[in-house]
Amino acid sequence: MKRKSVKALICAVMAATLALGALSGCGTGSGTGEKKASENGDASDEDLEVWTTNNGFLAIEHGSETYNLFKELTGVGIVQPYVEWNGGETYKEQLNYRIAANDMPDMFTPVDGMETDLIESGALLDLTDLLPEKAPHLWESIPQEVWDAVKANDPTGNNRIYTIPTVISYGRNGAMIRKDWLDNLGLDMPTTQEEFVEVLRAFKNNDPNGNGVADEIPTGGREEAKWMGQLFGQYGIAMWEGAPQWDIYDGELTYSAVTQNMKDCLEWMSELYKEGLMDPETLLNDKAAWDGKINSGVVGIWEHIPQECYNYAENIYNATGVQPEIAILPAISAPGYEGFYTERQMNGSTFVVANTDDEAKIDKIMAVLDAYGNKDLWMDFYNGVEGMHSEEVDGKLVRLPDDPATMENIYALSPYNNIADLDFQVELLSSQLTPEREWSVSQAITNVQDLQNYVKTYAGDGLPDSIYADYPDIGNRTLYVEYATKIITGEYSIDKFDEFVDRWYESGGEEVTKLAREWYANKTK
Amino acid sequence: MKIGKRKAHAHVHESRGDIMFGAVIAFILIVFAIATAIPLISELAVSLSSKTASQMNRINLLPVEFTLDSWKYLLAKGGIWKPFLISVTSTILGVAIALILNVLMAYPLSKTEFKPSKYIMLFVVFTMIFAAPKVPYFLTLRTYGLYNNYWVLILPHIMTAYNLIIVRTFFKQFPKELEEAAMIDGCGKFRILFQIVLPASKAVLATVGLFYGVTMWNQYEHPLMFINNMDLFPLQMKIRSIVDGGSELQAVTMLQDANYTQATLSAVAVVFAIIPILIAYPWIQKYFAKGAMLGSVKG
Repeated sequence: MKRKSVKALICAVMAATLALGALSGCGTGSGTGEKKASENGDASDEDLEVWTTNNGFLAIEHGSETYNLFKELTGVGIVQPYVEWNGGETYKEQLNYRIAANDMPDMFTPVDGMETDLIESGALLDLTDLLPEKAPHLWESIPQEVWDAVKANDPTGNNRIYTIPTVISYGRNGAMIRKDWLDNLGLDMPTTQEEFVEVLRAFKNNDPNGNGVADEIPTGGREEAKWMGQLFGQYGIAMWEGAPQWDIYDGELTYSAVTQNMKDCLEWMSELYKEGLMDPETLLNDKAAWDGKINSGVVGIWEHIPQECYNYAENIYNATGVQPEIAILPAISAPGYEGFYTERQMNGSTFVVANTDDEAKIDKIMAVLDAYGNKDLWMDFYNGVEGMHSEEVDGKLVRLPDDPATMENIYALSPYNNIADLDFQVELLSSQLTPEREWSVSQAITNVQDLQNYVKTYAGDGLPDSIYADYPDIGNRTLYVEYATKIITGEYSIDKFDEFVDRWYESGGEEVTKLAREWYANKTK
Repeated sequence: MKIGKRKAHAHVHESRGDIMFGAVIAFILIVFAIATAIPLISELAVSLSSKTASQMNRINLLPVEFTLDSWKYLLAKGGIWKPFLISVTSTILGVAIALILNVLMAYPLSKTEFKPSKYIMLFVVFTMIFAAPKVPYFLTLRTYGLYNNYWVLILPHIMTAYNLIIVRTFFKQFPKELEEAAMIDGCGKFRILFQIVLPASKAVLATVGLFYGVTMWNQYEHPLMFINNMDLFPLQMKIRSIVDGGSELQAVTMLQDANYTQATLSAVAVVFAIIPILIAYPWIQKYFAKGAMLGSVKG
């Protein structure tokens, strides 16, 4: 009896297996066409598969218009499937599946320091000798000291180059002020902290936008104390988009969040907050909410990317009918400190290359990298496909507004964002100077150049994320955000700051600091 | 019969406390209903508002500077119809396959005469407790050829242990006498199942069908893992790609004269995806209320 039921069970399992096999079999049959097309491109051995950030644009498929453009510019066919970015999270997950399946894309943007493990396991191509020989344009368009820093980041300690860095060789982020508000109130541009606070008070109380309502927000920023360089900068704090950086404090490389500078700054910020000189919702604003306030023409001083300030200017004009004048707020120094806006040159890696012995493939990758670094081609990369990404106006190509639903991801190769210099940014802006928007774009051109007077690089520039590998909470600045926001809003008194510093060091800050200082010693060797 | 009697009985003696209790429940449910409706209403308002209003964050529950531009754009140019079609077909096909397979498996399992039933149920319950880790799962399905394959939208979802148990429980309660009568009249086993049992099982089929349908319509994780060919994107993936857009650094472009923004387009996409489910629910609800209780009666 028992034997019989076991037999029946085996039969049932086998039948189920068969049925499943048949089902997935028919699945494979109907799907092979698609599979080939997107997994490796139609001509799988011919094309390179490249993965980068994609903010919702269409994929680049074999034979598509962007594919053809890239082929024309680089001589190589490039395909890019659609990989959801989602702040890097989803992208990372999907990349990890492909790595686990031993099927890495040929070239891709690494995230969250994942390149460290890949380099150590020999999964990435050593580019040290290849670049000068086969991609001279790229080799030369990135400064030698940046390459040295890349070598210093080699986790194997052999000073080899495995990554193509993202380099911004000029000050990109800085504080902007509504100059027209100053003029309306008859005020001068503030240059000291005292004057700065007076300006904030005047913005709050004296109706600078002249609409008769006290709706002005003198200054502010976003959640997690992001985008408030106009305040942090006054205390000489190296800070990038809200993330504290590593700089020399008291003669040693230190996390800027645990310094006296930060303590003094947070104390001052809590006073501003209490007085209502900062947006009461500062620590709740997401990008849309904060941009919305600036676009509504009620914010006086904010930090963002001055080369894009024409967007704010035009939005404010559309919303209020007032053509604003946006100017750079000069770097202001708090008493006893040297103020600046942080210039971060090394912004992680744009590309790493999957290791391969295939000479022909290596040559193709080098051809792509060479074209990517070739200044003469940058404008062509920028303008993309005529009819999709750009349009001819008065005999020259002008980029169309981004429309992810109909455009392929032209940002797959975007040297203009990832290695371009100030001159090129100015050239780009100038190419958009049509008469009806000269008033706004010219402000951006002035501002991006003006900003360079107030920016400073810092010692920890280029520090790899991998130092946080074992301490993700420190990498995510969990503790810092908690204390900083609570101190600013007055929930914690400033005395709590010392407790934060202790807790930070105890929860891994000690070890991370050691790694960072080792890295720095190696870099400056 | 028994239940009906008790109900009538309770009604006569409804005390003040009962009324209060009912009122509190109603109040809580209304609050929940409003809390659920507000995000949808606000998204709808955003989708019907102008670019300037969206950029200034002026929209709450009513459209500001009413316009249909975002809808026109997304429906005409947004490339949303193909993913819509893929979601619709894979859901319909998936529900059909799922119901057939679930019924075919649950029916024998519900019969005591079928001896291995116990052991097979053990395997079924096993899958409820242990799930495969992601990477091996990915590699396995990929080896089956389910990478960038339409069928990955269907096959992994057609048999869920939980739903199977609901169907089996329902069949267990099915009056034996009916089946025996049919058998005496000369019905074969398949005929009993399809002509006697199933027509009397609409409630459970609707419930389980709805469960499967919602899973397949809303699925996001599987396509995310297994599909990166945009031609095969189901609606939810397409919507993610619309909502996900927008970076800190923007391209210098010519003036934009369109009357929509990233935010209004996202809102359109979200509302668009909810509509089919909103339409389908009331149709199935009458079965659903009945069917949802099924699994709980007898384990």
